[in-house]
Amino acid sequence: MNSSILIARKEAGTLLRSPRGLAWLVAMAVALSIFCLLLVSDTELSLLDNAQVVYDMAGLITALGALLAVILGVDALAGERDRGSLPPLLLTPVAPESILLGKLGGIVIVWAVMFVFALPYLWAVGSTGQNLMDGVAVLALFGSPVVIGFGCLALGLGARLDSSRSGLLTSLVLLLLAASPLIFGPSLRQTTVGMAFDTINPFAAAINAYDAVIIDSATVLSQWGHALVILVCLALFVLFARNAFQHLLRSGGGL
Amino acid sequence: MLVSVNELHLHRGGTPVLRGVNLALDAGDIYGLLGPNGAGKSTTIAAILGLLRPHSGTVQVLGRSPQTDARTIHRALGVLPERFGFYDWMTAPEYLDLFARLYGRHLASVEIARKLETVGLSPKPRQTIGTFSRGMRQRLALARALLPDPKLLILDEPTNGLDPRGRRELHDLLRALVGQGMGILLCTHLLDDVDRLCGRIGILMEGRTVIEGAVSDLLDNQGSRVRYRIKWSGELPSATMMPQHVSVLARDHGSWLVEIESGVPAADAWREMLFAGWPVAEVMREGGGLESLYLTMTEGRPT
Repeated sequence: MNSSILIARKEAGTLLRSPRGLAWLVAMAVALSIFCLLLVSDTELSLLDNAQVVYDMAGLITALGALLAVILGVDALAGERDRGSLPPLLLTPVAPESILLGKLGGIVIVWAVMFVFALPYLWAVGSTGQNLMDGVAVLALFGSPVVIGFGCLALGLGARLDSSRSGLLTSLVLLLLAASPLIFGPSLRQTTVGMAFDTINPFAAAINAYDAVIIDSATVLSQWGHALVILVCLALFVLFARNAFQHLLRSGGGL
Repeated sequence: MLVSVNELHLHRGGTPVLRGVNLALDAGDIYGLLGPNGAGKSTTIAAILGLLRPHSGTVQVLGRSPQTDARTIHRALGVLPERFGFYDWMTAPEYLDLFARLYGRHLASVEIARKLETVGLSPKPRQTIGTFSRGMRQRLALARALLPDPKLLILDEPTNGLDPRGRRELHDLLRALVGQGMGILLCTHLLDDVDRLCGRIGILMEGRTVIEGAVSDLLDNQGSRVRYRIKWSGELPSATMMPQHVSVLARDHGSWLVEIESGVPAADAWREMLFAGWPVAEVMREGGGLESLYLTMTEGRPT
């Protein structure tokens, strides 16, 4: 089997088999369950339009997915370096590029697991309307590169900073900043600063695409501008992760 | 020559860390790399493994440069770092299987079990690594290091966490591996390990090799003879009856401090003394030898 796939499988195992990873999945399930319950049982929230419900749910899934990707992204290099399990991996005859590819593959698998995991919740709140499939499609097309991008950013920050703890803290602050449009709502985004930030923020680009496709029934193709922002950021974050990994290798690989 | 390091200089963050390290390890030999904390042992190992780029000097491993042929070298290399971690949710066979595959090998479960047996590890079925004791982890790390059937084994503090029986078993295993032609670079603070295993040593101080060579030659040259305290159980004969290669350094009430000429086995000296009528009751080793050499070379430095 290809070395990158082996490493990616191992990374996925960290989520699916380790007590820590399983605890995170349970936490995600609890968060999604509470949100779903609120959407269907709360007097005011239950009055929301079906499209709005799917939009809110897609945003939450993206945020939780990015959070999970950040946690596991930091752990993939910095966590392993801190625990001492990275040097043995670097001392195998596997090319460094393949190791990095495996680590990035792990983030993709984690998001895939999270995505499949979230589908029943999305269905539970959105199956009565006609926006469910649009929601799933837009989440897959626009949400996936955002989540994977933040995973790469966290992986790079962890490799670049002294410890996994500082890597995690910095990544979470950046994620919180990027997710601010979701947290503070549309009013903040209408300001000059908010609009300027929106144009370069991949998270905002994804939320705007969700808004246009799910609520305004725009076509996915018409969202190419948002897709461009997301893909450019993804490319930058992957390059950052690559450079940070090379820096880690040049500085002794955690030995 | 398995490893050859000549005048290695290396900077980290602009600060010179290695300032002239020399080392030579042949196949079928165990080389002890010694030195106080911060002397540059781990940095030297990182340079040998190709993880750090030298500022000047040369490093050759298996006849290749670790800077340009790291992957080829890693294929024939086993490493046990001082600080090693695992994927705690895996079982030991799963862990070895993963690394075997990363080395491009597919091992049947019987072969994996045999590898674990070689290092004296027999975990329960489905027992995850997270539940292993430190000694078990040490053995698993060694099993991983031996996976590629390496020509060169680099061990950093390999007996840490092992009980006396485990240490002896490891010594026996290392001797057997060396007997098969493997070369071992042993980085340790335990002079007893070095004394028992190493044919050559190098002592590092502040990033420099201060002494390097065959243990017997170094002890001879430094006059680092082994000292013993002998307790008597009766009347002592005339001092002229003392064997020639035993020198008396101090005489206390009921015990003497003696030194044996290098190259003379201590057991032979005691036998001669007993034949000459010396009432030897107890013999205790008191420093000297490798310990004395190490302390002399690293005098005044924290260990």
